[in-house]
Amino acid sequence: MGFVVDVERCTECKRCAIACSLAKTGAVRIQDSRIDIRPTWPDVPEIRVCRFEDCEGQPCIESCPVSAIRNIEGVILIDAETCIGCGACEAVCPYWAIRIRDGVALKCDLCAGDPACVKECVTAALRSKEAAP
Amino acid sequence: MTGSMFDRMLRIDVGTKTASLWTVPSDVRAYLGGIGYGVKILSDEVDPTIDPLSPTNKVVLTVGPLTGTSAPMHAQTCLVTKSPLTGTILNSYAGGFLGPEIKFCGLDGIILEGAAPEWLLLLIDDDAVRFESAEAIVGKTTEETETHIKETYGQDYRTLSIGPAGERAVAMAGTFSETRAFGRGGSGAVLGSKRIKAIGIRGTGGVAVTDPDAFRDLTARNMDTLRGARAEEYGLLGIFSKYGTGGGMPLVQAHGALPTMNHTYGSFEGADKIDGPFYEESFYTRDIACFGCPIHCGRVHKFRGADGSELWGRGPEYETMFSLGSNLLNGDAERLAEVNRLTELYGVDSLTTGVTIAWALEMAEAGKLSTPGLDLRFGNADAVLDLLHAICAREGIGDLLAKGPREAALELGNDGLGRAMQVKNSGFAAWMPRRMKGTGLAYATSNRGACHKRAPIGAEIAGQLDMDSYEGKAAVLIDVQNTVNAVFTLISCRFHEFATDHEVYPAFVRSAIGRDATWSEMVALGERIWNLEKLFNLKAGLTREDDRLPEKCFEPVLGETSQSAVIEAARFEAMLDEYYSLRGWDSEGVPRREKLIELGIGDYAV
Repeated sequence: MGFVVDVERCTECKRCAIACSLAKTGAVRIQDSRIDIRPTWPDVPEIRVCRFEDCEGQPCIESCPVSAIRNIEGVILIDAETCIGCGACEAVCPYWAIRIRDGVALKCDLCAGDPACVKECVTAALRSKEAAP
Repeated sequence: MTGSMFDRMLRIDVGTKTASLWTVPSDVRAYLGGIGYGVKILSDEVDPTIDPLSPTNKVVLTVGPLTGTSAPMHAQTCLVTKSPLTGTILNSYAGGFLGPEIKFCGLDGIILEGAAPEWLLLLIDDDAVRFESAEAIVGKTTEETETHIKETYGQDYRTLSIGPAGERAVAMAGTFSETRAFGRGGSGAVLGSKRIKAIGIRGTGGVAVTDPDAFRDLTARNMDTLRGARAEEYGLLGIFSKYGTGGGMPLVQAHGALPTMNHTYGSFEGADKIDGPFYEESFYTRDIACFGCPIHCGRVHKFRGADGSELWGRGPEYETMFSLGSNLLNGDAERLAEVNRLTELYGVDSLTTGVTIAWALEMAEAGKLSTPGLDLRFGNADAVLDLLHAICAREGIGDLLAKGPREAALELGNDGLGRAMQVKNSGFAAWMPRRMKGTGLAYATSNRGACHKRAPIGAEIAGQLDMDSYEGKAAVLIDVQNTVNAVFTLISCRFHEFATDHEVYPAFVRSAIGRDATWSEMVALGERIWNLEKLFNLKAGLTREDDRLPEKCFEPVLGETSQSAVIEAARFEAMLDEYYSLRGWDSEGVPRREKLIELGIGDYAV
């Protein structure tokens, strides 16, 4: 479960973030996107999104003081009802993939296995892990 | 607020350091957005006779109904002002991320007014404005300036800046925004006259549309179309996607339409050493895209500078491969990339700057321009670097060239005017008018000076039209001008229309802001805007004389592939007459009253 990320192919267009915020909120609001592309001019950008099974130790789970983060069959999910927005997970995430918005931690939930972002990536910089390369 | 439009703009007076929200009135909203808003607002608020560098000039930055939405290839921002280069109304465009950020601020645009006594850096957070001193960054390059904003105030700011050229009122100074530029027309000098060194902008809002389901379907279909176009090996979008805009250079070269050595030849021996495929194969290359664009025509290259240092550069774009490449007989890709990079750092339009340098080289070789200490000749890349430094510092001969090609020629005398490849003091683009008669007429009649954005280039190069014929070109050109102005109300990328059915535009407008407009109504709006621009220019004092091509266009092009192409003066005048007549203008190019009434702008008559 997760993504194959090929940052050399990323054109920094942010279609992934557009698609993510649309899927999650119905509007294009990059701040609400669970994936972010951070330019590091002139080098390749950072693709900030949860790496799921590729994330060693998955420290967000341990960091949560209220046990709101769980690994359910490979998908790491935050329970928004339980989350207190303390930011502990945001601080330990090695991929900068969690952000606090309106008092709740947001991260990628893989769109129930069919991520909206992957479908929009024309250069295949971002692929679903199951798909053949 | 109507769907994706917020119906409000931010007015910033840098003279009084005040900012206010302005509700966009219905007579402006009728212009949809983009160029429509900009031209309407400037026509209503700025006296066409003013000095463009006076505090009374305004800079109108606009976005459109599709900016910041999921609609692909709608990332650009439109800038409208009175141009210090041409003395005309200017509309100039930059891609990247600035436009969407303006929308995320909950704005449909920003109007910059007045002039500050000291250099300012404006920070815009949603609709709040801070006026910071720019003392620390005066004299800095565009890249240093934008890096300063991000490092000092936050990486989330999208930035816009001018370089030393804009500070010193170089007539072809541009306004730069990260990887993109408002190149044409000298907008950087206008910002400089207002003492606006840079703007940082950060929005926290979102963009929604009136009919999300219809909009999502349209976006998905349009993305399918563009994915198809992207995959076409020989299609323009396929070529741009694979090689950047420089991918088209071999085609222009093959047609003998690649302006070379100040438009003396129509092909360049070294073209295959500076074109898109050459850069792709020879240098580390990264593709970069504007917001939400699947074509990613932008390029970042790593190359060696003249002193052996490792440099990074954006581009060069095709137009620059001409202006600082073939037109100067500069066949060294690394020197070209280096000069291109410097135009960006200093903040000048590489197009008109290159055209002005080409003129200087021709005049120097003919012994008509004395330049002590400089070895000015075609093919000497060092001379180009020297001239570029001199122009941006306004030193020596550079101070003359900084006025633009026509003004420099007029000041010098020595029969130089006919060798300056410009219209209205704006340099020719990378397409040879003698080989492409419709494009020649486009250069002559464009409201912002020699301009390729609204020219029948595609049809002439791809063979739908006979390149060398004068027949029917006026009608085709008018259609192109009106059509492009229509899509520029949405600020669609100029390349979007290459692959997209026109019916997509009114459908997008309907689902974005709930307004019913047919495509033919949108084209009529494009025509209305074209006429408003023309009226502004007439009031500014321009005449039919300003719609003429330089003498060199009436001499044959040298070189085999160009087939001695020439423009016959009488036939050009006949084509111009036909153009005016089809436009509903009199023989001096003044729109007839009944035409203006038909277009709903009778009040603006000269």
